[in-house]
Amino acid sequence: MLEIGLNHYLVLAAIIFCAGVFSMVSKRNAIGVLIGVELVLNAVNINFVAFGKYSGGNTSIDAQVIALFVIVLAAAEAAVAVAICTNYYRNLNTIDIDRGDAVSG
Amino acid sequence: MNQLLGQAWIPEGVDLFRFSPELTLVATIVLVLAVPMIMGRSARLVGGIVMLGIAAAGWLTWRVAAEVSGQGVAGMSPDPASAMLLVDNLSCFFKLILFFFAACVTGMWWMGSSASERNAPEFFVLLLGTALGMALMVGTLNMLLIVIAIELASLPSYAIVAFEKRDRAAAEVSLKYAIFGAISAAIMLYGISLLYGLYQSLSFVEVADGIATDLATGRNGVIIAVALLCFFCGIGFKISAVPFHFWCPDAFQGARIEVTTWLSVVSKAAGLILLMRLVHALAAAAGAEMISALAPLAWGIGILAMLTCTVGNLSAYMQTSVKRMLAYSSIAHAGYMLMVVAILAVPGSVGAASAVSALLVYISIYLFMNLGAFGVVALVYWHTGSDSINAFSGLIRRAPWLAIPMLCCLMSLVGLPPFAGFMGKFWILYALAEQGDAASWLYWTLFVVAVLNTLISLYYYMRVVVKMMLADDGQESVRAPAAGTIMVNLCGLLLIAMLIWAQPIKHFADRFSTNLYSAPVLTVDVGTIDQTTAHP
Repeated sequence: MLEIGLNHYLVLAAIIFCAGVFSMVSKRNAIGVLIGVELVLNAVNINFVAFGKYSGGNTSIDAQVIALFVIVLAAAEAAVAVAICTNYYRNLNTIDIDRGDAVSG
Repeated sequence: MNQLLGQAWIPEGVDLFRFSPELTLVATIVLVLAVPMIMGRSARLVGGIVMLGIAAAGWLTWRVAAEVSGQGVAGMSPDPASAMLLVDNLSCFFKLILFFFAACVTGMWWMGSSASERNAPEFFVLLLGTALGMALMVGTLNMLLIVIAIELASLPSYAIVAFEKRDRAAAEVSLKYAIFGAISAAIMLYGISLLYGLYQSLSFVEVADGIATDLATGRNGVIIAVALLCFFCGIGFKISAVPFHFWCPDAFQGARIEVTTWLSVVSKAAGLILLMRLVHALAAAAGAEMISALAPLAWGIGILAMLTCTVGNLSAYMQTSVKRMLAYSSIAHAGYMLMVVAILAVPGSVGAASAVSALLVYISIYLFMNLGAFGVVALVYWHTGSDSINAFSGLIRRAPWLAIPMLCCLMSLVGLPPFAGFMGKFWILYALAEQGDAASWLYWTLFVVAVLNTLISLYYYMRVVVKMMLADDGQESVRAPAAGTIMVNLCGLLLIAMLIWAQPIKHFADRFSTNLYSAPVLTVDVGTIDQTTAHP
């Protein structure tokens, strides 16, 4: 019977991280990129919580506390970024990030 | 539960006093939001509150600096050995610069916006929010606080760039800025989670110690490299080092000019000081016998610095917007400052002290150069409605009191005497040469690249100067508010005065930079930390 251990969580987090990075670089839709960012942040949380549970003999709750902080940061970031997306849509009628060409050089 | 409460830490009055500049900023933010609800959304009222708050914060920083400079470092923490917040000379120095600059930017805003401006409270909440984030960023080696500080500095800046909601350019560049920032912050957090997993500590001093031990035994090399690289993503974004610089010219061009001025100096300076602290902690933990193990770090930062300089200067070449040109120039200047950080990556390096003090001198001079240059661009923009280089043609006839300070600032940005920029460059080159003699030819390479880049930059700054002095297509003269004219002329005068009184300024910076070393040295001994925070 396979015991689920730290490595399984780390591999899961690494896969989610890669999926997030892939979605960041391949999406042209701003919301798609933001979803990629959220995926990466969730990979970070899985990492932290797994380290908090499995690190031997360490009774500190640092890792769980950081995970809470990361959740709050993700929420704040999403709030600001989505507001900016809305503003972008209002001005350009699209959320395709490649369509912005007002400044260049 | 009782046990937990027994461990709980209640800050003493003296701890709160050391934190008082930040607390004053928070109080100002609350006042800026609350007072207009009672007394009406008057722009002048809000500006006045902000000025008072910044002045109070600056005065408190001065008091704290006087108290702290004797003991080297003070932390706000139950355990001074692994303080989350470091209050030392370096952070006080930066905070003084930060508050002075915030007052100047508020003054610029005051001139540029009408008294009937309705959105003043929101603008200043965002501005002071970034200031708070930067004040925290320079005073910490704790990875959680680093993340929070970087986010606190970044999130309001995305919004403040988008402040003109009807402006199409602002909407676009703020989206680019926000997405770049979100990506780099997320990747940085992943790096931090790996570092935490390796060493089970959030304090970067302990992490650096663990990294040093691992490097000595040759364990975990790849994962440490990946984690540090991810970590650098977030900081590289803040200082717009080259692979992460794409947001910078766009955001600086699309934002209001006060915001551009603000972000171009302090946001980069805060990131650089944070990076300097991290690199120094790593080098201090590694010790002198591990120079070769940390060589990749020195080379990495050095190569990034060279790239940042060169890309910034070459891209500034053919810009038609002076604002955008200055944005690229700020990337190049971040490159010069990054070269200095590369010196710190050598453990026990002889040039470390002169490198830190060169960086501090450079930041203080850079502040006035950029304030003056952006100030003139702002005054011309408010009159003509254009920041293109053609709006500057014949400026010496149209507004001599704008053209002369602009000449001083641009020549100072190049680094030509008799302006203070020469001194800033000189100390940086001096530090590089000193290190080049002592350590490796990497620093002589950096030296040569810095000199070549200065030559390149001469061309595009001169283009504006030539346009101002020699070309004249008969545009009408520029009428600028008296306060603004006085401000930019003061900047120009100061740039000359700072070269004359170079020695006192250097001594001042030396005093502030020497005690950087007491901060990590106090905390570097992991053995004692384990005893003081004994696990229950």
